[in-house]
Amino acid sequence: MSSFGFGLITAAVLAIATVGFTMQFAVTNVLNLAYGSVMINSAYVTYYLNIHHVTIWLALIGGVITGAVTSWCLNRFIFTPFQRRNLAPITVVIVALGVDLIGTFGLQAVVGSSYVAFHQTAGHEYHFAGMILNGLQLIILGLCAVVLGLIHWLLKYTRLGKAMRATSANPNLARNSGVKTQFIISTTWLISGALCGLAGTVFAMNTGVFEATSAQLYIVLLLAAMFLGGPGEPYGAMFGALIIGLSTEISAAYINPQYKEVIAFLVLLGMLAFRPYGIFGSEKTL
Amino acid sequence: MLTAYAFYLTTILVYGAVDSMACLALNYQFGFAGVSNFGFIIFQAAGAYAAAILSMPRAATSNGGFQQYVLGWNLPWPLPWIGAAIVGGLIALPFVFLVGKRLRGDFAAVGLLVSAVLLNELVKDYVPFLNGAAGVSIVPAPFQSKWNPQGLGYQFVYGGVAIVITIGVYYLLRRVTESPYGRSLRAMRDNDIVADSLGKNLRRQRAGVLVLGGAMAALSGAILVGFISLWAPGAWGYAETIVLFAAIIVGGAGNHKGAILGAILVPLAFEEITRFIPPVANPTLIPALQWVAIGLLIILFLWFRPNGILPERRRFLSGAAPADVVSEPATNEGDALIKLGNVDQLNFRELLRLGDTANDHRVILSTKGLTKTFNGVTVVSDVSIEIQQGRLTGMIGPNGAGKSTTLAMLAGTLPASSGTVTYDGQDITNLSSFKRAQAGLVRTFQLASEFKKLTVLENLVSAIPKQSGDSFVGSLRGKRYWGSEDKANIERAQEVLEGFGLTQYADTYAGGLSGGQRRLVEIMRALLAEPKVLLLDEPMAGVHPNLAHKIGDQLTKMCESGMTILMVEHELSIMDAFCDPVIVLAEGTVLATGTMAELRKRPEVVEAYLVG
Repeated sequence: MSSFGFGLITAAVLAIATVGFTMQFAVTNVLNLAYGSVMINSAYVTYYLNIHHVTIWLALIGGVITGAVTSWCLNRFIFTPFQRRNLAPITVVIVALGVDLIGTFGLQAVVGSSYVAFHQTAGHEYHFAGMILNGLQLIILGLCAVVLGLIHWLLKYTRLGKAMRATSANPNLARNSGVKTQFIISTTWLISGALCGLAGTVFAMNTGVFEATSAQLYIVLLLAAMFLGGPGEPYGAMFGALIIGLSTEISAAYINPQYKEVIAFLVLLGMLAFRPYGIFGSEKTL
Repeated sequence: MLTAYAFYLTTILVYGAVDSMACLALNYQFGFAGVSNFGFIIFQAAGAYAAAILSMPRAATSNGGFQQYVLGWNLPWPLPWIGAAIVGGLIALPFVFLVGKRLRGDFAAVGLLVSAVLLNELVKDYVPFLNGAAGVSIVPAPFQSKWNPQGLGYQFVYGGVAIVITIGVYYLLRRVTESPYGRSLRAMRDNDIVADSLGKNLRRQRAGVLVLGGAMAALSGAILVGFISLWAPGAWGYAETIVLFAAIIVGGAGNHKGAILGAILVPLAFEEITRFIPPVANPTLIPALQWVAIGLLIILFLWFRPNGILPERRRFLSGAAPADVVSEPATNEGDALIKLGNVDQLNFRELLRLGDTANDHRVILSTKGLTKTFNGVTVVSDVSIEIQQGRLTGMIGPNGAGKSTTLAMLAGTLPASSGTVTYDGQDITNLSSFKRAQAGLVRTFQLASEFKKLTVLENLVSAIPKQSGDSFVGSLRGKRYWGSEDKANIERAQEVLEGFGLTQYADTYAGGLSGGQRRLVEIMRALLAEPKVLLLDEPMAGVHPNLAHKIGDQLTKMCESGMTILMVEHELSIMDAFCDPVIVLAEGTVLATGTMAELRKRPEVVEAYLVG
């Protein structure tokens, strides 16, 4: 049962990350493989604020802003210009890989390769329903619930959210119906970037110690969660993150924990091979 | 001191050969066939491991058993290298399902990337298989029975062997890519759905590319491990593939010499030059900056010089001097002026291999209860139609009536949700689209669908079915085997080209043509696929009315020669002039069928058009 608790935390962090990742794909059709590098850079900004005597929860806002601004810039100055050239989607993915190298190893060149940790306290341990969760983990869970609630509210009840969904479903039709798609895409990258920054910071909090390349493997979990729920589907991403988060941690209790990503990997390959549009999606959504 | 330089030189030779071979193989996959193998490094690693454990003694007996690994067959050279190439080809097979027909190229690519990441982790964590993170070491040197591996002579021999094999790989790949098969690969790269609709078996082509490229990658790994005598997960991180992609982007995708140049410039020169940077306090700084530089190289080259230093070269098939080729992009304004050439002299019966049978107007293509549902929304509902042989049947209907979807189900581009399609007496409902095309049921597309980086003539020739050089084995047999047939095919395509008045554009990249010209290329290409039934999806869209009527005349003539056409079109004047009968679709169902004159008298048809 304790692995269920771990799984919940992993799923919470993954849900925040995957919703951002899938939103970027939804509005711009880009598989942003540089996502992990933006996450870890955001975590480092939080870390630097934190060691300069900013409390962790305030410093986290710095990480969120970093993620938002970096992602916005990536879309505005790199992905959009490349897409305007009408290249094959794969070209933009290769560009994203290049950005990932620059982001990850540029950071490593600056901060070195030693592990760092936030000044944070794990807080009291709480036992319930067989799970052991500490205060920090409870806060992460709460944060996740609030953020996902906000995303739900945004998508369902605001004009901006509706415009996002319209842009995602059919950009040309949305533009012809009076949606300012460029503005919507920019805003989506800002919001999804904020999620990315938040995810990076809570990911680092949850792992305890981290360094510049810590998030490199995270893309496996992200992709698995996204494809499970259907690429470009925020609610699918939440579902996918829950399944992937729980299954990796619970399987870790029974097999060698070193192999826990294998579940995610098998899920991803299975989805790609048999249902690349997700469990709930249909082929038309691609 | 001099010997030290000589040893260094041999190292450079071997690394240069290994990197070149890897880049040639990846360029074959990515630059020629459009298969973005983001997991390429898996194949090089598999080759290295395979060569290592095939040549090493049993793990328990080697060096006091300090390392664990499987096999250990102690095979003499060249068996480990051959075994490595076979392993490289074999492990490509499970990935074929990823790069098969249906999956988007970038999705398949991330699947391969993640496979590379995970396999590396697994090999690292599971020690008994290949000695985990420490890797296998003390791999026997391949020719140590004849020469002392420490000697300079041995080193030069090794470098020489590596270079000879690389040259062999170069010529082999060139033989493959400069054949009709290579043309089909490039067509698939430029537009896979269209290549499929012309009868190319995408899954088989991609499988072939993965297997051959994988075998070559594995061989390069085998050569490397024989030289450095150790191999560990640290040497084949997923990012190593990105370095090879960077090399190909810099050198020039789709150009074999570009791949070699890229291999020399990026993995080789770049790594060697940075080796001379004096060490600094932070040991990860230099490697980190190297990765940053690779990332920058990719982005800057893709932006400023997307075709690389040595761009893919154009194939001049027409025999005209390159200087005579019209290469400036045509403009859409010029479309009104396009004149068909001596098209009236074309003998379609002969050109399209239609045989001598007279038109009998039997039902050649029909559907029963054809239905398509997307996500619960029914787009085409219970459509039953019959197409008669030798007639030019039209299909009209308001936007969203399901015309294109129906046509796609006829051609097999989309699977039907229910209902049947019968062609020439056979139920083809479950036949894949490329097989339908091979059986003579060929379609065109509503959106421009030319193979952009094939010349106009290549676009046409690529569609001709049953070319003896259009298979991997056929391409290996060389030009002596397929050359004369290909020459005849080119002449046949030129004849069609002349008929449609585009001879001067024979060697122009199809992507540089005007909208109207591209339409013509597409129709000509479909004709060269030797259709019995041609399905045209709005062939006149964006075409100047004068030209549209000239094309219509020719379509009529083709039907008189024994071909059957089903044409989806918006332009009613075209329907009036050429099509009989005409099928009216509205909201996914057949509303009426008849001549245009009859249809105009029926109020429900007029209403559907006016309201829709």
